[in-house]
Amino acid sequence: MAVFTDTDELHRVMTDLWTAISNEKDMAAQLLSSRLIVTFHYREPDGRLTVDCSDGKEMVITVGDCNKKPVVEMFMKSSVAHDFWLGKVNVPLALIQGKIVSKGPVNKALALLPAIKPAYGLYPAVIEKNGLKVSIT
Amino acid sequence: MNPFVFHTPTRVYFGENSASSCGDFLRELGGTKVLMVADAFLEKSGALAPLIDSIKESTGIEPILFTDVPSDSDVDCVNKATVIARTSGCDALVAVGGGSVLDTAKVINICLTFGGEVLDYQGLNIIERKLLPLIAVPTTAGTGAEVSFVAMVKDHGESKKLMFGSRFLAPDVAILDPLMIVSLPAKLTAATGIDAVTHDIECYVASGTYSVFTDSLCLESLRLLFEFLPQATIDGDNLEARGATLVASCMAGVAFTNSGVGITHALAHAVGAKYATHHGMTNAVLLPHGMRFNFESVYPRYARIARFLDLAVEASNSIDGNSISSSDDRALAHLLLNKVEALLRQLKLPLNLRELGVPELTDENLAELVDLAGADPAIMFNPREASVEDLTQLLKRAY
Ligand SMILES: NC(=O)c1ccc[n+]([C@@H]2O[C@H](COP(=O)([O-])OP(=O)(O)OC[C@H]3O[C@@H](n4cnc5c(N)ncnc54)[C@H](O)[C@@H]3O)[C@@H](O)[C@H]2O)c1
Ligand SMILES: [Fe+2]
Repeated sequence: MAVFTDTDELHRVMTDLWTAISNEKDMAAQLLSSRLIVTFHYREPDGRLTVDCSDGKEMVITVGDCNKKPVVEMFMKSSVAHDFWLGKVNVPLALIQGKIVSKGPVNKALALLPAIKPAYGLYPAVIEKNGLKVSIT
Repeated sequence: MNPFVFHTPTRVYFGENSASSCGDFLRELGGTKVLMVADAFLEKSGALAPLIDSIKESTGIEPILFTDVPSDSDVDCVNKATVIARTSGCDALVAVGGGSVLDTAKVINICLTFGGEVLDYQGLNIIERKLLPLIAVPTTAGTGAEVSFVAMVKDHGESKKLMFGSRFLAPDVAILDPLMIVSLPAKLTAATGIDAVTHDIECYVASGTYSVFTDSLCLESLRLLFEFLPQATIDGDNLEARGATLVASCMAGVAFTNSGVGITHALAHAVGAKYATHHGMTNAVLLPHGMRFNFESVYPRYARIARFLDLAVEASNSIDGNSISSSDDRALAHLLLNKVEALLRQLKLPLNLRELGVPELTDENLAELVDLAGADPAIMFNPREASVEDLTQLLKRAY
C-alpha cells in the first residue's frame, strides 16, 4: 500500500515536517548557514517541495511549482522519502542502487545530511497529526 | 546477508599486446569517428602507435588525437575537447592514460552525448541512459577508472572537484595491457598501486554496502598487490608483475564502484584538492591513519583479510616469530595494519603529509580540509562516523 494517498497528502506531510524543522533553532541555523536552495522531487504520488535558505535568515518552504533555481535537487519515490525520515534508509546503499538521484554539487547535498538527522525525531508526530495509516517503527 | 546490488557493465580484456585489439572492439561498438584522449607523455614516447594502428587497420578511421590533459584535469579541458570532438563528428572515444585522462574522457563523453553544460550533469545517478562508446586503456595501475561509475574533474580555477556518478559512466571496454604501463616511473607505480590497496581495504569494510561479490574481488586483488606491487616498482619491465597489478587495480575498481570507499579517500580528496598532491601518494600517507581510526569498528573484517593472506603464518615464520591464534581477531587485524605499513616503507612512499609537501597546517587550513572531507561522498561509506574533532585529530597525526 502506498504511504501517501495522493499529492495533497504528501505535500501536507512534507510541509509540516519542514515547518517543524524551521522551528528547531539549531537545525534551522545549520541549514540557513548553507544558504542553499534545495528542491525535492517525489514520484508515486508526484510531488515537489522547495526549501530556500538563500537569505540566511528564514527558511521559505514552497510546495508544487516554484520558480526558484535550486542548487541541489533530489529525486526519489515518496515511499523512499518516508523511510528516510523514519531513519530507515541506508543512504549510501540507496545512492548505489539508484533509488536516490542527487543533482548538483554532491558535496553540498551530502553536507546537509548530518544537519537534518535530528529531524528523524520530528517525523512520527507529523505522521500522527496527518492521520497516516502507516507503521512508523 | 545484507541487501546489496552488484553490477559491472565493462568488458575487461587483459593480455600483453591487448592494446592492438582496440580497433576490433571499436568496430564492434560501432564508432565511425573516434576521439582519442591520451596522455601527452605517451604520445611523445610512441606508446600510442599500436592503438592508432589497430584502429586504422580494423575500422579505417584515423583517430582525432587530444593530448592536452593536465594532471588535475578541469572543466576547461573537457569543454575544449568536446568542441573538437563535436566539430569533427566524433561518435566514439578511446581514452589512454592514468586516472586523470580516463576521468576527463568520461566527462567529455557526457557532454558529447547529451550536449549542454558540463555543470548540468554533476551529481549522482542523473545520467540515466547509455553514453557514446568508450574504450579505456589504463596506463597506471591504481585508480580503477577504467571500470568505475564515477569521474571527477576540477571546476574552473577552483580547488574543489566536480563529481559525476552513474553506472552509465563505466567504459564499454577496458583493455589491460601490461606493455602500456612499463614506462610508469617507480614512484608513481608505487603510489598508484597503493590507491588500489586503499580501494580494497576501504571497500572491504564499507558501511553496509559490501557484498560477497566485492569481498572476493578485494581479497584476491590485495593478494596480488602485496605480492607483485614491490616487484613492479623495483623492476618496471617485469611484465608479470605489471600485469598482476593492472588486473588487481581493475578488480579493486569493480569492487569500490559497487560498494564505496571511506575516510582515507575522503581526506585524500580534501588534501589533493587543496594542495594538488597526487591521489595515490596522499592515500599512502593517510591509509594507516584511516585504518587505525576504523579499527575498533571493523577489526573482525581486517582479521578476515589477514586470514586470507595467511599473515599469521607469515608472522610466525618471521625472525621474532610470535605465534598468533587464528581466532584472535584483534591480533590478526594488527598484522594487516603492520603489513600495510611495511609495504609503504618498502615502497619508500612519503610517510606523512609534511613529506608529501603539504605546508604547515594552520587552524584555518585544518578547518577547510575537515569541511571538504566531511562533505566528501566517500565519508558516507565509512564504517565509523567521524566528527569534526576526529577528522582534525587524524589530519594532525598524519602531518
Ligand atoms: N574515476 C575513478 O574511479 C577514480 C578513482 C581514483 C582516482 N581517480 C582520479 O585519478 C587521478 C589520478 O590518476 P593516476 O593516479 O592514474 O595518475 P594521473 O593520471 O594523474 O597520472 C600521473 C602522472 O603519470 C603520468 N603517466 C601516466 N601513465 C604513464 C605511463 N604509462 N608512463 C609514464 N608516465 C605516465 C602522467 O602523465 C602524469 O604525469 C586523480 O585525478 C583522481 O581523482 C579516479
Ligand atoms: Fe582512489
